Amino acid sequence: MSAAATIEALDDLDAINKLYRERRWSDGLPIVPPTQERVERMLKGTKRKRDEVIAVLPPGFGEATVERIAINAVMAGCDPAYLPVLIAANDAVAQAQFNIQGIEATTNPAAVWLVLNGPIVQQLEVNATFNCLGQGSWANATMGRAMRLILQNIGGALPGDMDRATQGQPAKYTFCCGENEAQSPWEPLHVERGFAHDASTVTVVGAEGTLNMNTHSKDAAEMLRVFAECMAHPASNEYCHGGEPWLVIAPEHADILKAGGLSKRDVKQRLWELSKMPASHLSVKEILRAQASRTDEYGEIKADTLLAISRKPDDIWFIVAGGPGTHTTYVPCFGNSRAVTREIL
Amino acid sequence: MAKRGKVALTICSTAFKTLGHAQASALGKKDLPIAVMPHPFGLRKREEVRAIAAQCADDIVNLVTKARAKT
Repeated sequence: MSAAATIEALDDLDAINKLYRERRWSDGLPIVPPTQERVERMLKGTKRKRDEVIAVLPPGFGEATVERIAINAVMAGCDPAYLPVLIAANDAVAQAQFNIQGIEATTNPAAVWLVLNGPIVQQLEVNATFNCLGQGSWANATMGRAMRLILQNIGGALPGDMDRATQGQPAKYTFCCGENEAQSPWEPLHVERGFAHDASTVTVVGAEGTLNMNTHSKDAAEMLRVFAECMAHPASNEYCHGGEPWLVIAPEHADILKAGGLSKRDVKQRLWELSKMPASHLSVKEILRAQASRTDEYGEIKADTLLAISRKPDDIWFIVAGGPGTHTTYVPCFGNSRAVTREIL
Repeated sequence: MAKRGKVALTICSTAFKTLGHAQASALGKKDLPIAVMPHPFGLRKREEVRAIAAQCADDIVNLVTKARAKT
């Protein structure tokens, strides 16, 4: 694998950003110039060799070497300590079940969401509390941005070229958070997915968007009914394909669910049952799409067929995150994608 | 398939033509034949779709014939 190309530019931030703008090497925001010094500093964040190929990224099939990942991390404003997260995330998105080809080349607005678990959340000051899906955290903002720059600059997913998103979504600039494990009444996501409690992990999710679900309900059963009715929407890839929906459950909501005697598995089972939707709610075209994808589950899909949001309850995933308040987020997903978790080493 | 010396062809709609050519190029098959159909289909009448399919079938035959001649 050859080293990344070096270009000479004026030692001037405006001039460099003009160059990056003209060559479409940015996401539309100014970048931190990836000078050799900055890239070398970034590379100190890992012991991996700079020419190691971590992933081959569709749709352009560019090779994501450690060095190229580091360059984009510099551009996004990352600290060197974030580099191992990005290396693990690149390995994750390249797994076949994640379907990065589909996520990047589709007309769907799917974005790559990075969910961090384990000690690294504290170590890197990843925001998992107040406004964890919003602005204000350096780690969240820059790691999510670096992932997007990597997909665009290494993977070749330039909007209007190989990224065919009809409208896209704001999360395509950056989408990264941690799980608020200290305030979760259940085992954290990475433990549920088979990793040691003291392991640090990143989970990549093909996220179609976010929907705030504000309910002041204090009753677990009622709360799950409200969530399920929000999740059941007819213009959903998940009902067409049998997807993998996600939720970011607020700590207050999680406490109510736990007080109602519900385990994680119970929550999934109930959401799965309550969010079933008659096929007649879908458009005729979407019923045909569902028929094409889910015949093995349902046989012939008729108007009164009750479609589940996912193939099985365990395909519904959630983390607990956020600060005080009654806001849980539904993250509908691309449908033809499965999340992947990798340990950060 | 094309890399194995077989005549290969892709079909896509106009909305994905840029993607098709870019991916073929990225995979080292810049000359991969691509039959392109107009996008979208949603509002077209059945007769229009039949006509598009017939035209596409002709395009496929032509593209495959040309590609075979090159091998």
